[in-house]
Amino acid sequence: MKPNELNEILSAYDAKLDRILSLNSASIQKINLQKTKKKTQTVLIFRSIEVVSFSALLLFLGSYIANHWSSTHLAVSGGILFVFTLIALIGSIGQVTLLNQIDYSKPVVEIRKKIERVNTHVLLFVKLLFLSGPVWWAYSLVAIDVFLDTDLYVHLDPDFVQRYLIINGVLIFPLLWFLNKLSFKNLHLKWVRTIISWVTGTKTQQALTSLKQIEEFEN
Amino acid sequence: MQTTKKERFIGLIDEHKKIIYKIVNSYCANPADRKDLEQEIIIQLWDAFDQYNPEFKYSTWMYRIALNTAISYYRKEKKWHTKTDSFDNATIFHLRTEETEHREQMNKKVEMLQHFIQSLNELNKALMLLYLEEKSHSEIAEILGISKTNVATKIGRIKLKLKNEFLKNLNYETE
Repeated sequence: MKPNELNEILSAYDAKLDRILSLNSASIQKINLQKTKKKTQTVLIFRSIEVVSFSALLLFLGSYIANHWSSTHLAVSGGILFVFTLIALIGSIGQVTLLNQIDYSKPVVEIRKKIERVNTHVLLFVKLLFLSGPVWWAYSLVAIDVFLDTDLYVHLDPDFVQRYLIINGVLIFPLLWFLNKLSFKNLHLKWVRTIISWVTGTKTQQALTSLKQIEEFEN
Repeated sequence: MQTTKKERFIGLIDEHKKIIYKIVNSYCANPADRKDLEQEIIIQLWDAFDQYNPEFKYSTWMYRIALNTAISYYRKEKKWHTKTDSFDNATIFHLRTEETEHREQMNKKVEMLQHFIQSLNELNKALMLLYLEEKSHSEIAEILGISKTNVATKIGRIKLKLKNEFLKNLNYETE
């Protein structure tokens, strides 16, 4: 192919389009453009509900910790839940911010990144779920105390508690390594792809794949 | 007052109709999808019309919106689409000859080129479309949001791929 051949092909196509392409302006005139409704608003409403819910939960946990300050095990359990809720709240606030920044008149790569980050939101919750595995006892202690007004901890065998804390404490480090691997940067690893697809679904995996493509495109 | 704005809008769309037509044809193989995407792009352009920043050329602004919409549509991100019940089924663009006739008339090489563009991933597709529109590297960089150097490197790579593809196809035909 000669250097100019591509341009010649395109000029011919362009000239042809000039001759045969016309705008059906009657069709646009008929469109009631004022009535269009952005679906983006629906996603924004869902994420805003998340922000309100996590904020309320955070306030509740804050007051729970303050009220149970003398019972260390309950205060610590409440503190663990507080941290998880805070991470979830930060994630949801980040989503609302991203959604408000999505403006199609901005550069393509910038907008694609924002949209794909919104599309991968579910991965944050999956990571939090995995991460709360070793500390699930905190959820049980607080839930049983709040809903049944019973302090389960005092009924537990101290040896069992000690073994439990050691085993789960040790588990946290490999879990952190594992969760850190669950990122679009590691999609070249088959096990990462399989796990992400299994726990988050195809759509999230597609969004992560896009983030990887965008990163490659930028470099 | 409102009519004036709409007329101004339609006038600009008419002036730049080839941009939308080419993007739609590059991102959608199916005619029904093409019609939906045409409408989606028109709506997104209308929604952003009041915020048009005269610092940018109208075509640059239009490319950004049309490409962002096309990529979202191509990805089937329904949640990003605009919902409207007010459309009839008419297509926004008319080809003065029938589409089939147009296709038959179309140069084989143009078809080959379109086929090649359709096979690229969505961001490279955008890059190639802009390159083929003879946009400058700095304008392509501005529309896509990457550096000028990156634009040049990527275009070089895609052109090489395109050249090989053309040679392969032409050799195949002459065999």
